[in-house]
Amino acid sequence: MEEDNQSYFWIKSEGEQKISTENLVPGNQVYKEKLIIKKGIEYRLWDPFRSKLAASIMNGLENFPFKNNTKVLYLGASTGTTVSHISDIVGPSGLVFAVEHASRVARDFLDRVATHRSNIMPILQDARKPKEYFSVFGKVDVVYVDIAQPDQTKIAVDNCDMFLKKDGLFFLVIKTRSIDVTKAPKRIVEEEIEKLRERFEILESIDLHPYDKDHAMVIAKYKN
Amino acid sequence: MYSVILTELGISVFNDGQVDKSFPFSNPVKEYLAIKNKEAKLNELINYLAKIQRGVSVSDESLLAILKKFSIDCHIMDLEELEKVQSTKPQIIVDSGFASNLQDTLGKLREFALGFSSSKVTEVSQSPDLHIIQAINSLDEIDKIANGLSSRLREWYGLHFPELDNMIDSINGYAQIVMAGKRESLSKQVFEEAGFPESKVEMLSLILSKSRGGDISDINLSIVQSIAKQILDFYELRKKLEEHVESEMQEIAPNLSAILGTAVGARILGRAGSLKRMASLPASTIQVLGAEKALFRSLKTGSQPPKHGLLFQHAMVHAAPRWQRGKIARAVAAKAVIAARVDVYGEGLNQTLLEKLNIRVDEIGKKYENPTEKDIRKPQQFSRGDGNFGGRREGGRREGGRREGGRREGGRREGGRFDERRREGGRREGGRFDERRREGGRREGGRFDERRREGGDRNERSSYGNRREGGDRNERSSYGERRREGSDSNRKRKKFGRR
Repeated sequence: MEEDNQSYFWIKSEGEQKISTENLVPGNQVYKEKLIIKKGIEYRLWDPFRSKLAASIMNGLENFPFKNNTKVLYLGASTGTTVSHISDIVGPSGLVFAVEHASRVARDFLDRVATHRSNIMPILQDARKPKEYFSVFGKVDVVYVDIAQPDQTKIAVDNCDMFLKKDGLFFLVIKTRSIDVTKAPKRIVEEEIEKLRERFEILESIDLHPYDKDHAMVIAKYKN
Repeated sequence: MYSVILTELGISVFNDGQVDKSFPFSNPVKEYLAIKNKEAKLNELINYLAKIQRGVSVSDESLLAILKKFSIDCHIMDLEELEKVQSTKPQIIVDSGFASNLQDTLGKLREFALGFSSSKVTEVSQSPDLHIIQAINSLDEIDKIANGLSSRLREWYGLHFPELDNMIDSINGYAQIVMAGKRESLSKQVFEEAGFPESKVEMLSLILSKSRGGDISDINLSIVQSIAKQILDFYELRKKLEEHVESEMQEIAPNLSAILGTAVGARILGRAGSLKRMASLPASTIQVLGAEKALFRSLKTGSQPPKHGLLFQHAMVHAAPRWQRGKIARAVAAKAVIAARVDVYGEGLNQTLLEKLNIRVDEIGKKYENPTEKDIRKPQQFSRGDGNFGGRREGGRREGGRREGGRREGGRREGGRFDERRREGGRREGGRFDERRREGGRREGGRFDERRREGGDRNERSSYGNRREGGDRNERSSYGERRREGSDSNRKRKKFGRR
């Protein structure tokens, strides 16, 4: 086992090096992922096919700001796969504000993740209206956006303006198929990045192939 | 300088950065929601503010609106102040005495967030349109299951009594006969009880004695009978579901039901997600709901966009000549969206919507009575040599369709008649359209599947009830589309090939 950044860990399972996080709530599974106990510590394997953050790590992500204590605003929590791993990483003193609008997935998210993890603040509201979020306070260190909307970049930037601190990091999953099915994915990624340039310093852009088709992860630093 | 700050745990009145008075919530989720909905009473707070007799700044718009109602001199905080409140919220909560320290604040805020989110989930789950969607989806699923099962029943019991298959169209009747047991135990009484007319009973009795079928063992028979029982149960359940959807739709979305009919309306509702969401969709989207594949293909390749998705099941669209369908689908979709909006935001049944739609459809019928040259589909020629795989497949499909049409003559009679009726109702007698349709719809639903069954391999073709009209036809329609588009893309493919 190899430690990496103290945030996530590489664990050998079924003959492969797999990524994992230390389970914040031992014994608790979120999406039927494997739990592995090594030296008395329980780790949850992190499936890159289900979590785009894990996929970006697999594809060579360099900037990884999530660590103990980090405050995160997470838009598009869905059923909470990635949120649960971030919750593992930021630990009891960190905080994840998890925004999700669709009530069907929010149901699963509340049942499986939010009720078990004390560092998650579930927010069932529309990411288009950051002003109406209750319970978010102060600024966060990282904004992570994974929402399927044609205007997702604008929504994300609006949220950064409200809640991201200066020099904070911004993770944007670009879902090219949600933005425009008719255009070439590569071009869409370029266009969306162009929208950010003015106020963000683009650090990385990662294609999530083969874990996700036509998805890219962009990591940027908030200059404003 | 007084300021009133709303937090998740209570309301505080500050004076120059110092807490003047705080009003904790006893049930934060409920009271916070009440304020957001502008329903809260807040007597204590209002009395207190009235005594101060000075202008106050307020941190929340809803709270501001409530206070204004009681003619308290107040205004909303400026951005800078709001930002400060937002960033120091945990401290404000501690200062107001809503929590003992920062750690406690976080715990309480999280509790609030969980409670608030849960109450939202509960609220959404209770909305009746979601239940309608589940009901119509179950109905469609039951159709699918019962269809597969009934063809299996015919195949299996057919080993024992093969002649029965060709004699009896309805799945329900067939299953009832199977329930009676072996050939030997079938009698006139059984046939009569299954609801067949005299002439058919005679014929059945005649055939009974000369059957070519083999024996069936008791064990096998009992399994076959369990399948028959299942089918009969499904039939009952389906009837119940249909009535349920019908009555619920009338209740929840009377206007939508008037325009689309309850079954089609419910399916479109299912595609849209909810009534509210449907009300916010553009009509053009409603028009092609259910034809997503064709739509996205058209966006990608520039081929012809689909004229209708689920709307093809609508009697008006369905019964119209091919070249009018797109126009009628557009008119129906436009009115359907308005109907959904009236259902969500308005009140009661608005009769003029249907009238206007009928007028418009009549107009289309008259104006485009004859197909223009463009509308007449040229017969496509497919030869083995020139088609690539796609081309051949299209050709095959098309031929298949034709052939089947001919072969199915007998079975189609019922369907055909029903169609005609629908067309009459839909196109010519505008006003009476919905009555007819409903009548027709129920009939159709009431019968499982009266189409003639022709054997195991074509099972998937037949289905019962509405679904048949819907799914099946719909598919066939998209074949039409697909065919055209297919050939389009074939052409493209060929072009690429040459390059």
